[in-house]
Amino acid sequence: MVDPIVMDMGIVALTGALATIAGAAEDLESDVGSQSNPNSQVQLAAQMNFPHRIFNKAISGEPPAYGLWCASGATVASVLMAKEMSIFFAIAIGSFVAAIILGLFSVTAHMGRTASQKRFKQPAYMDMVIGHVPSIMAHGYIAIFCIVAFSYIMDHFMGHPFPLPLLAFLWGVAAGAIGSSTGDVHYGAEREFQNQPFGCGLNAAFSGNIVRKGEAGLRNGIDNVWACAKLGGPLTGLALGMTVFLDNWRTTVFEGMNTIIAGLIIVMILILANRMVEVKARKAYGPYKDEDGGEVA
Amino acid sequence: MSTAAGGPAGGGIAPTQMIILGAVGGLAGIYLTMLNQAMDTTIFSFLGGIGAIFAAVWGADAVRRVCSYGLGTGVPSIGMVALGMGIVATMFGLTLPEVSGIPTIAGPIISFIVAAIIGLLIGLMSNKILMMNIPIMEKSMVEIAGAGALVMIGLSTAIAGSFDIVAIMPAVVETGFIALVFIGGAMTILHPFNACLGPDEKQDRTLGVAVSKGALIMALAGFASLAVESMDAMSGALTTIVGLVIWVVYFKRFMKHSHRDSYLVTGTGLLPTEEELE
Repeated sequence: MVDPIVMDMGIVALTGALATIAGAAEDLESDVGSQSNPNSQVQLAAQMNFPHRIFNKAISGEPPAYGLWCASGATVASVLMAKEMSIFFAIAIGSFVAAIILGLFSVTAHMGRTASQKRFKQPAYMDMVIGHVPSIMAHGYIAIFCIVAFSYIMDHFMGHPFPLPLLAFLWGVAAGAIGSSTGDVHYGAEREFQNQPFGCGLNAAFSGNIVRKGEAGLRNGIDNVWACAKLGGPLTGLALGMTVFLDNWRTTVFEGMNTIIAGLIIVMILILANRMVEVKARKAYGPYKDEDGGEVA
Repeated sequence: MSTAAGGPAGGGIAPTQMIILGAVGGLAGIYLTMLNQAMDTTIFSFLGGIGAIFAAVWGADAVRRVCSYGLGTGVPSIGMVALGMGIVATMFGLTLPEVSGIPTIAGPIISFIVAAIIGLLIGLMSNKILMMNIPIMEKSMVEIAGAGALVMIGLSTAIAGSFDIVAIMPAVVETGFIALVFIGGAMTILHPFNACLGPDEKQDRTLGVAVSKGALIMALAGFASLAVESMDAMSGALTTIVGLVIWVVYFKRFMKHSHRDSYLVTGTGLLPTEEELE
């Protein structure tokens, strides 16, 4: 007979693992299309006389967008489950439908934004739409499947009182917010401005002057996701995975007031750790200096 | 703000016409679902979805007008505000008849009026307290909140078959489909202008996106209603099919408009040369 706590911890670990994959895929999906924060520079590039071949996926911010994909996927999955379909197939089909909706929103965002930049002579390259949208949908599918799956586990095995679509919606918003705040830095600051010295900050004169030429040929969203898969994606996965794992861990191991106290202690440790990393980074890299040693930024 | 913006947005359809189209079309769609009760069927539920599309187009146009005053990254936020105001007003307006003895038929109108009042307050706060000083802020917030409430009631009615809170609570709220109604409604209002933002934005292209996205969410609402016990499968299937047909028509129209408005649409190619850019 397996101790129930072992079983519970296994479920907690599974939700954490699913969330880690979801976070990584979510961030990489947003990098293929340049959604969220880095999008403003992609939008600005053409207006500053730097036409480009980078996908302009301005659907909305990542949190509302992922709220919609996950709510759609979970809605379709709930209906199929109510019709007695197996859980695995129901979630898979729901996520597929949500990925198609994501693809359709991507097309309208890219084509709409490009057409609205007529005066800046930004062409609409159709091979980009055909090449990027399947990659966006594929990354999105993984993220949506994992989020809906761990929401289902929370709903059915951990006794969460919310229905599946609502829970998936809330976790979708959380995943989008984490992807937007964690992963975007790697793409926006590091990849888009790869030609600037590390840590120099973004001078207003460089606005829109993003890297438009790649290792071979013109740079596109697929090149960007290749670079971001190294750090930005995994870090986002770790952040979402830790959020889901630690939150479920404290509610599984503790009860009543102790759960809240454990939560507060975790938050305190994270704040301290963040501060230490920030201080260490500032000491190591410091303000950007020019060749004479004077502070520039 | 990354567009050359800062003034009123123009377009073929005047704001007053949009208000009439959205408010009358939205309320008509919602009230026509009463045919369900009159004829003891659920087949007319799709009319709620059509009403939601009318309201979404109006909401998207209001977002477009207020955001052209320089709210670049604020476009998604304003859409979320719309549905935030809308959901409070909707739940209040639809529940009030149930608890106070007012006829159920007054529910959508009460929601609409309450949404307008909340919108006015938020608009006044934005301009007078936050000092945003956007000339059409108060009017736009009233419009956006009203449109948000109508989109929510329309989609909920498409799922539940009635705007009576007694039907909506088990079919939309307890099943969790309210999440889809909330975020789907918000995206139909905020996505069109966000997707078409730029100095060469055109009203017909932007509002076409609102119709196609509203239709897509309507199709999903129809699918969701298949899990509602009080709805028959034919009604849900009809809502989904009507939604998909409208989506196909307007998506094709959007692509045509994008080709019309773009500088150049090409299969593939290099970037424009320095000479071309001058």
